[in-house]
Amino acid sequence: MELLGILGLTVQIAVVGTAINLPIALGVSWLIVKRRIPGRLVFDALVSLPLAVPPVVVGYALLLLLGNRGPVGGLLNDVLGLELVFTWFAAALAAAVVSFPLMARAVMVAMGGVDENLEKAARSLGASAMRVFFTITVPLAYRGILAGVLLGFVRAISEFGATIIVAGNIPGKTQTLPLAIYSEVLLGDDAMAMRLIAISVGLAVATLLVHNWLLDRATRTNGG
Amino acid sequence: MLELRVRKSFVGFTLGCEAQFGEGVTAIFGPSGSGKSTLLNSIAGLVRPDDGEIRFQGDLLYSSEGGVNIPPERRRFGYVFQDSALFPHMSVSENIHYGYRLTAREDRRIEPSQLVELLQLERLLERSVGNLSGGERQRVALARALATSPRLLLLDEPLASLDGGLRGVILGYLKSIRRELGTPMIYVSHSISEVMALADNALALRDGSAVAYGPASEALAMPEVSALAQFDTLENLLEATVAKRYGDEDIAELEVGNARVIAAGVRRGEGDALTVSIRAGDIIVSRQIPPQTSARNAIPARVSEIHNVGSRVLVYADIGRRVAVEITPNSLRALELREGTEIYLIIKANSVIPLEGRSG
Repeated sequence: MELLGILGLTVQIAVVGTAINLPIALGVSWLIVKRRIPGRLVFDALVSLPLAVPPVVVGYALLLLLGNRGPVGGLLNDVLGLELVFTWFAAALAAAVVSFPLMARAVMVAMGGVDENLEKAARSLGASAMRVFFTITVPLAYRGILAGVLLGFVRAISEFGATIIVAGNIPGKTQTLPLAIYSEVLLGDDAMAMRLIAISVGLAVATLLVHNWLLDRATRTNGG
Repeated sequence: MLELRVRKSFVGFTLGCEAQFGEGVTAIFGPSGSGKSTLLNSIAGLVRPDDGEIRFQGDLLYSSEGGVNIPPERRRFGYVFQDSALFPHMSVSENIHYGYRLTAREDRRIEPSQLVELLQLERLLERSVGNLSGGERQRVALARALATSPRLLLLDEPLASLDGGLRGVILGYLKSIRRELGTPMIYVSHSISEVMALADNALALRDGSAVAYGPASEALAMPEVSALAQFDTLENLLEATVAKRYGDEDIAELEVGNARVIAAGVRRGEGDALTVSIRAGDIIVSRQIPPQTSARNAIPARVSEIHNVGSRVLVYADIGRRVAVEITPNSLRALELREGTEIYLIIKANSVIPLEGRSG
């Protein structure tokens, strides 16, 4: 079942990419929204940068970084003998970078909706900043955070430009749904392309519906 | 107990304050925008001053010079917010235990069970905080803060969001906390009536500066303070016990200090405690018992203090409780009042307003 294989790989790559993003998005949002670190406006702009540049540029930057002569790729290759480029993990990293702004923005909004007095109250009751984050901020913002995760996931599933540069388009190895659609269109197999497109759209619609439901619940229960 | 010198600037406003707080209840009094909350938050560690020093029982909490700033969670001060700030994802019981669990065993002097009894929370423990009334929320917030056995309890306008009746109820609980637990409190308020009812000492703030400090009973006599007080609404908030009810009517005889006071609109039963409000301007001073009058109360009292406040005179009368009475300078002269003069306080039953609250 070629179709299932493609779908499985796509979901695997998107899930791993999203999983990498979540702790980073939580940490970055906390620094920007709650800690209000100096230079947060610049930091905030950096968070959105992958959204603003063509994905191809992100892919090329990752290729330079992760390639065997790149600073990260070179090190991994020398020490562990690992090669990242043109693997499914490189595709997951590409999906992570490209989908990060969407997830982080949503997480920031969710955390910003948590009443600061609740966090101050928890501090005055003896909770450290870290404990406040995990016992007050995250539980109260979890629906919004989850909505952000789904938004990131749906973007990761549809990632194309960065992936094809850093992971290539290798059937059974790095060929995700969008890449497969691209190949089928090039090959002229319209029927197969349409089937893949249907799966792609179905997956996106289902995820967005859950996302909207979560966000609706979050705004109605106040506080994110 | 607490000594501080802080400066904190915001756009268009600077708090610059030097003060010492003693044991008991200290009120930080002033109009809105005078810097009361900023001062309270500096003490709590929730706001970092730009400059200055804060010491509690000799311990350095904040020093700009020494680069010391103890975080709020290590100051062991309880904080009660105006809007309660209860955790909405936890039950009442979980709210109360949140800080208790974080308090070191050797520091625990107050047990949650004690607070549940003191603040009458038994019925509420398993409820979610979303469907509590305003008064219930404030009681839970008090219990949550006190469950950490705080070295000092900070209260930011805890009565401001409550309506008249509930104010009296929560005020009664604050008094029992002071009596039963003895936790020192710093209480922010813009209501001079509350300050006089609860506080031992008062610090008056205006435009970010401390303008007066002294015993709360004398606070109103200070011109700096009376200038800030909304005089028309000065009320005596007094603790009372229902001594006798008259049949089915809502008229009841209350015990206030050494005096018996007839009040209307009392719903509580005999033996119950409540807070009553009597406005200082609703009390008439007489040298004799008026022979025929519609007023139900002629309460014997003795003048304890006389203060000139602007164009009016404030007389404190002693009935085993201190009662503030507002008269004109003319009346003061005509009645020849001085300290120690025996007088009668003439009060209509309708002017003694029970603050009972519906759901407390």
